[in-house]
Amino acid sequence: MLELQHISKWYNVGGARTFILKDINLHIAEGQFISIMGPSGSGKSTLLNIIGMLDEASEGDYIFMGQNVTQLKEKQRSNLYKKHIGFVFQAYHLIDELTVYENIETPLIYQDIKGSERKAMVADMLDRFQIVGKKDLFPTQLSGGQQQLVGIARALIAKPKLLLADEPTGNLNSKQGEDIMELFKKINEEDGVTIIQVTHSDKNAAYGSHIIHLLDGRIERAYV
Amino acid sequence: MLIHYIKIALRNLAKQKGLTLINVLGLSIGLACFTLFLLYSVNELTFDRFHTKADNIYRVYRSAAPMGDDPGNMDSYMPMPLGPALKQDLADVEEFVRMQDAGWAEFVKVENNVSRMGVAFADPQFFKVFSFPLIKGNPNTALSDPRSMVITQESAKKLFGNADPMGKTIEVKLEEKFEPFIVTGIAKDIPANSTITFPMLANYEFLQNTKSGARSKDNWRRSSYQTYVLLKEGSRLANDKARLQLFRKKYYPDEEERLRKAGYWTKQGPPVSFGLQPMTTMHTDTRIGGGLVDPVDPKTIWILLSIAAGVLLIACINFTTLAIGRSAGRAKEVGIRKVVGGLKRELIFQFLMEALLLTLLSTIIGLLLVNLLLPSFNNLSGRELKFSFSLYPQMIWLLAGLIIIVGLIAGSYPALVLSRFNPIEVWRRKLKLSGSNMFTRSLVTLQFVLSVGLIISTLIILQQLNFMRSKNPGFNKENIVVVDASGTDTDKIFPLFKQAAAKHPEVKGISGAEIGLGEGTGYSRSGFDYKGKHKEVFEYFVDADYIGLMGMKLIAGRDFDPRIASDTVNSVIVNEAMVRDFGWTVESAIGQQLPEYSDQLKPVVIGVVKDFHFRPFSEKVLPQMFHQFSDYRPFKFFVRISEGNPAGVLAKLQDSWKSVVPELPFKFSFLDEDLNRFYRSEARWSSIVGWAGGISIFLACLGLFGLAALAVLNRTREIGIRKVLGASVPGIINLISKDFLKLVLIAFIIASPVAWYFMSRWLEDFAYRINITVWIFIFAGITAVAIALVTVGAQAMRAAMANPVKSLRTD
Repeated sequence: MLELQHISKWYNVGGARTFILKDINLHIAEGQFISIMGPSGSGKSTLLNIIGMLDEASEGDYIFMGQNVTQLKEKQRSNLYKKHIGFVFQAYHLIDELTVYENIETPLIYQDIKGSERKAMVADMLDRFQIVGKKDLFPTQLSGGQQQLVGIARALIAKPKLLLADEPTGNLNSKQGEDIMELFKKINEEDGVTIIQVTHSDKNAAYGSHIIHLLDGRIERAYV
Repeated sequence: MLIHYIKIALRNLAKQKGLTLINVLGLSIGLACFTLFLLYSVNELTFDRFHTKADNIYRVYRSAAPMGDDPGNMDSYMPMPLGPALKQDLADVEEFVRMQDAGWAEFVKVENNVSRMGVAFADPQFFKVFSFPLIKGNPNTALSDPRSMVITQESAKKLFGNADPMGKTIEVKLEEKFEPFIVTGIAKDIPANSTITFPMLANYEFLQNTKSGARSKDNWRRSSYQTYVLLKEGSRLANDKARLQLFRKKYYPDEEERLRKAGYWTKQGPPVSFGLQPMTTMHTDTRIGGGLVDPVDPKTIWILLSIAAGVLLIACINFTTLAIGRSAGRAKEVGIRKVVGGLKRELIFQFLMEALLLTLLSTIIGLLLVNLLLPSFNNLSGRELKFSFSLYPQMIWLLAGLIIIVGLIAGSYPALVLSRFNPIEVWRRKLKLSGSNMFTRSLVTLQFVLSVGLIISTLIILQQLNFMRSKNPGFNKENIVVVDASGTDTDKIFPLFKQAAAKHPEVKGISGAEIGLGEGTGYSRSGFDYKGKHKEVFEYFVDADYIGLMGMKLIAGRDFDPRIASDTVNSVIVNEAMVRDFGWTVESAIGQQLPEYSDQLKPVVIGVVKDFHFRPFSEKVLPQMFHQFSDYRPFKFFVRISEGNPAGVLAKLQDSWKSVVPELPFKFSFLDEDLNRFYRSEARWSSIVGWAGGISIFLACLGLFGLAALAVLNRTREIGIRKVLGASVPGIINLISKDFLKLVLIAFIIASPVAWYFMSRWLEDFAYRINITVWIFIFAGITAVAIALVTVGAQAMRAAMANPVKSLRTD
């Protein structure tokens, strides 16, 4: 599905290079459920952002579904990821001014999907996540777990092949966290969506098929 | 997608009510201002275009080339036989209309109620040539009878109330007696953009048969009527100088020769010619005089529009700076939208849509304001404008264009800035809160340059206006009531009225004069030769009491004396300017004769008065003289009353009038107000520029207020840390205010020389003018800084007083 070859990321601070990621090589196949672990500042989020095309590597190649992302123009890249990648964040990142329904609908708007079709897709998703009753509420009216549910629904609405999650349960209590992880597992197994999550918790990591440990920008060990 | 954008825009607006209010309010005021001026400009620039045949209608004018001291002139007052002669001699002329404007109010009697109203006269084909629709009556026959009359809806309401005036009789006092006319048509009210106006319109044929009309009949030397011609489709007559010249030569065969002989005309070609002025340019060509509605220099229209555009620009800048200032609040949304697949251009589009939506909202409120302000604006502009899309269909497109342009100007920079945000940076809180970058600073400075410039200009105009109104004109203009007796048999009435009024102790003196003073009262000026040179002198026909009553200063010779019989025959009293112009001294002037004044009359100077200003202060004092030659008639009675509340005296004067002329209403004015009317245009300008200045400084401060609030918000943490480290409240107020005050000061430094330059040029038009003093600038500068300080200071104070523990904890 995707492959990272000699990926490095650094910032120039006062003339010296500070490496966030150093020579990362990674191959992820379709249908895998990967957990990235590591202490704060080890480069987990940066790695996830590079995979999600939100950030660019300073060096190295990134091949996503057969295309070398580093060589694509912004528009092509944007087309690629808005079709195939969904994001879930620790802080949910819902738009406060939009209702649950509208938040879930937003990605479809940017894919030029017709109104009637959008309606059906969102209704489907609300149904599946059992949040139909909440569709007209605004994010601030929901609990954290519910907000994250909406965040996941939004990430999945465009039927992506790859779901990226940056500490999706970080702001939730353990019960809510478990529910989300169960959901991830289901998505992975039933829909065949590839999932890469960043997490601190061993328990959450255990839901995945593989674990990658990062330390100081390098892959320390990987259970692939 | 559009609905989606509109939804989120509205929710964002609702979320930040304060800023939205500043934005919408500011834009609404700016748009209302601009729309009013736009309406005015559209009205001025579409003058007379509503006539369906406007493209083929021309007004005849006469153009006299400069000769000797005479700078030459163009005017549109034509002799009576001209119209028929044009149609007869020139095949291109399909139709002609001669017209006498309703220049003054006549006494009008309807069922024994007398009031005053203007009457115009025009040839019966008037309604065929011009497009003034009739609500009642047949346009082809309405004016065919010599005693027929068409009145406007408005006049009908005034004279007849709700009754149907058709077929009713209106009596108009023309010359000596009331003449009956029958109402044969009711015209729709004349639009505000028409040069031709009339409250009542009667048949030109009737005019021809009045006493004064009869003197003009077949007379090519009396010119007082406007003549319009309708040319055949495709005619080139208007540009055919040769044919028009040939026509003039036919009716003025010896004109050129006579002027050459007298030595006035030495150049090639004819000295005087006829021309055809396209009807559609009549209103914007200030060179050709004549008509009741003064033409407007298009330059003035553009200046007004620019001022209004400046005010609007200030409102747009508010939008921009505030949108950038609060961009931090939208950063998260931008990040999310980018992550879920939004492209930069889609985000730009979204923010532009928001700007357009806000502009649309502001326009709606602005239009409500326009309707509210229109009556006051009409007062200011001197027009009867109505806001109506059917009257001015152009306004639809202009307003639609305006919304788009304003939306784009106000919204494009924020859209670019906001859409540039990178999601990762936003979430890492790395984003710089750009409340006051170079760009916004420049914009704020520009706002204050405009407002300070307008304020300085207002002060200078006001000072000049005040100077002209209060400067001693060389006579005592206070406490004089001018009674308008035109239209009455004044020769008989004046002595009777004088006798009746003089009984009241508050009446200090009464004098008669042919004309009143002030704008629109007219003047007579005669030209004659003196020692081989052509001279022009203003003449005033007055009676023996005039100079004393007006309080003029006699510096040589004597005043008129009723006991000296020759004073009513050939005595004149002149002013200093005439003494200088004629090469006399004050002493030698007495006894001088004007031998070439006319064939019968050789006036002799008996006195010299100090220079006085009967004309506006924008004009130099020119040679003037007073006399009481026997053909004078006292149309105006000058009554000097005692100081204090004039209401009581006026009632008594009215009684005196009623006792002499019971059938006609008493009409009066105050001399000082008449004279101040000279400065109507200056007063108008000072109001317009003053309002624009006031509104713009208000808008600029509104923006400043918002920016200061945002600056405080963005610097909450910094202020907290500073306070913990021991900064004082004044120190923090200083910290916040300093930045903004610097901008206002820079603006003042830029605005001052610019305003000085333009106002010096404006003042050049006045023969008597003020010097621009540095105090005006200092005053304007201090005002601007003070207003800005109050605006920003309030915000800074709040920030400085806040508890730092709170602001640091929430961070």
